[in-house]
Amino acid sequence: MSHAGRFWTVFVRELRAAVRTRAYLGLLAVLAAALFGVARAGGGPAGGYVPTVVDLLVVVEVLVPTVAFAVGYRAIADPADRGELDVLETYPLPSWAYVGGVYAGRSAVLLALVGLPLAALGVHVATTAGPETTVFASHRGVDSPLLYLRFLALTLWYALIALSLAFVLSALAGSRGRALVLALAGLLVVTVGGDVAVFAGLDGGLVTSETLGGALAMTPAGAYRGLVFDQVLYVAVPGRSAFVSGAVAVGSLLFWWVGSLVATELVTDAR
Amino acid sequence: MTGETYLSANEVGKTYGDVTALSDVSLDVPADAVTGLIGPNGSGKTTLLRVLLGLERPTGGTVEYHGPDAVRRLGYLPQRPTFRPGFSVRETIGFYADLVDDDPDRLLERVGLADVADRPVDGLSGGMTRLLGIAQALAGDPPVVVLDEPASGLDPAMSELIFDVVASIADEGRAVALSSHELSLVERTADRLAVLESGAVVTVDTPEALRERTGGPLHETFTSLLDRDDAVVTAAEVGDA
Repeated sequence: MSHAGRFWTVFVRELRAAVRTRAYLGLLAVLAAALFGVARAGGGPAGGYVPTVVDLLVVVEVLVPTVAFAVGYRAIADPADRGELDVLETYPLPSWAYVGGVYAGRSAVLLALVGLPLAALGVHVATTAGPETTVFASHRGVDSPLLYLRFLALTLWYALIALSLAFVLSALAGSRGRALVLALAGLLVVTVGGDVAVFAGLDGGLVTSETLGGALAMTPAGAYRGLVFDQVLYVAVPGRSAFVSGAVAVGSLLFWWVGSLVATELVTDAR
Repeated sequence: MTGETYLSANEVGKTYGDVTALSDVSLDVPADAVTGLIGPNGSGKTTLLRVLLGLERPTGGTVEYHGPDAVRRLGYLPQRPTFRPGFSVRETIGFYADLVDDDPDRLLERVGLADVADRPVDGLSGGMTRLLGIAQALAGDPPVVVLDEPASGLDPAMSELIFDVVASIADEGRAVALSSHELSLVERTADRLAVLESGAVVTVDTPEALRERTGGPLHETFTSLLDRDDAVVTAAEVGDA
């Protein structure tokens, strides 16, 4: 069997485990209720896709990493605790194939958990929004389901990045107890810590009004928010331009995504 | 009956900060034989097994594999094997078998678990869990199998069954290294015994030769070989290293 085949074996086991984990159904229901509740409370679905995104953005910034950390915080710590990683070291299974297989399996779970409620909400908007909502946003100021699809794609990517951050913390933890503590700390850093650090830098003079956009784009949440503004919200608002550079935000998200996965592989390999 | 050496530790040392877990340990693990490691708690048995497996890097010396080429060279049964809950016995062994293109049913039959293949792995008794661990250790047909306390905490009948399985593994030509406190079973099963104390090998010999040193049962020889006061201090310092 090739290493790709071994990757597949690990991936399939993760999927089987996920299908049998009923708690994920509860998580899906809670997340769907929260997203629909927030959107309906804000009145976004009646106004169109962009108003719905406006309603959801802040909540999604917190909820999506929370769900990602719930899915991933024990991904490496649990098998380390069980001694499974020691046993697997005696197999011809490189750590990249193991980490990659587990990550791919849990990513599939996460994409379903986040994607299904958001897609359902998109359908809900399509059936309740006013006639000014069109399929193609031919010019600024026009709402469109394609803008919502951009929001969905960016949010799913943000979820995968948050999952990779949960993975590296799980690998560093090495035990369930430490995994929970590190996950909570990591979640706080991802959801609010980055912004707090940037504004502290602004207050201390380390960050200026000229470099504020770039500094915000350095954090996963700031980069995601910046891209949503750039690619979704400001497309529909004439005369507005993004507060972060799109290229810097994409680079930042790629750094956190790939960097976390590489770090997870290195930490797991060095155990 | 012992064959050629498949695995050897050469002047291996292992320290954790100021604590010495292994000191200048040399040991051969031959094919077609069971090599038993015995010694008080904290004497370095588990550390030596982990160094032999490559799970711990020695701070001195080397470990060399001389066995035949194999898709998986070393099989390993940890002291407390725990499997991912939510899967059946067959699915669990199937995962490990898939990694090395082995047949999960053959592995289950080998350890006598074919009849409980559909049982949830988290519903197995301690003995059955240990047998499943041995089946996992045999996946890929490794030439060397390392078993850490394969019968600890099990009832006498199950311990005997486990050691019978271990003996049959060596009879198939493998090199088996194990640690155990079950002296009567080790004495019956092992072809060679290495006595460890305070991280050092006190002696290596056949069970018969060791018994002859005191003329009594093996535990008397074992006790006479050890400096008990020192052993207790070592156990307190390094735990069950």
